[in-house]
Amino acid sequence: MERINKLLENYFKGETTLAEEAELKQYFATGTIAPEHKPYSALFQAFGQEVQQQYTTPMTIVLPKQSSGKRMWVRAVVYSGIAASLVLAVWIQRPRQEEDYAIIRGRRIDNPEYAQRYAEKKLNAVNEMLRYKLKPLMDAQALKDNLRNVDEGENDKNQIIE
Amino acid sequence: MDSTQFNVKILSLSDKLFRLAKSMLRNTEAAQDAVQDLSMKLWEKRKQLDEVENVPAFTMRAMRNLCLDTIRKQGDEDELPAEFEFVAPNPHQQAEQKDLVGRVRDMIDNLPELQRTIIRMRDVEGMEISEIAYITSIKENAVTVNLSRARQKIREKILYEQKYVEANIWKE
Repeated sequence: MERINKLLENYFKGETTLAEEAELKQYFATGTIAPEHKPYSALFQAFGQEVQQQYTTPMTIVLPKQSSGKRMWVRAVVYSGIAASLVLAVWIQRPRQEEDYAIIRGRRIDNPEYAQRYAEKKLNAVNEMLRYKLKPLMDAQALKDNLRNVDEGENDKNQIIE
Repeated sequence: MDSTQFNVKILSLSDKLFRLAKSMLRNTEAAQDAVQDLSMKLWEKRKQLDEVENVPAFTMRAMRNLCLDTIRKQGDEDELPAEFEFVAPNPHQQAEQKDLVGRVRDMIDNLPELQRTIIRMRDVEGMEISEIAYITSIKENAVTVNLSRARQKIREKILYEQKYVEANIWKE
């Protein structure tokens, strides 16, 4: 008891070490406290309660600016995740086999052969259109190739003459 | 300092920072805002943190300075005078606050800012006097004096309240 009295005296003078203060905390936490020390029990209990206060709000730090290598890696993971989610969503929502149909000019077509023929016809039309539109470009490319051949032939001829 | 080091060194201090801010500002929401605000500021200056020797003490000091700025901006409206005198609780207050532990916490809250900060750093966080001196930007001797004054005041208030309560019990 003498020891606790001395520690308390020094404690209130601000002269105790951390170890001695831990000893006091331990004494007041045990429950067997001398009557003359009871008034101080609430003080040490208050400190014990306060140390349990926690910061509960989640920290929101701005995403770190990492090196380009790390950023690329993070992006790759994010984009892969998005792609995987899309594939999964399409797979989950795909129509069942017995519900296959096509919409042609606003009408529902349940006949797959008709829909296929219609699609092929349209694709051929697009093919023809592309061939017609690209013909001048293809001709220009062929002309360019021919001119290159002529130039190379001229160079070969000059080398032989030299 | 990268994000991992930042998480380990700074965000792990969030409870301590919150308790310090709450003790100074005496408001939970304001304390949460202060912790968030400080985290953002330190993150922006994380490169400079590599040069800091004692990051926890530096962070606590930054938290205290931020709270002092907040208190100054509030115009010290909520701050009690330095020599605030303890007023014995009236019967209504006693009925509201039968819990002596809660009363002690109120007593600490009613201490001047420096004294309540120091007593909590020492008795709640278990900090060394030298650390407290660095965080509060005062000399170690001044820390000891303020710590002693804070503890003495709380002791007087506890004993005074004890006598007051006992006297009222005998009256009844």
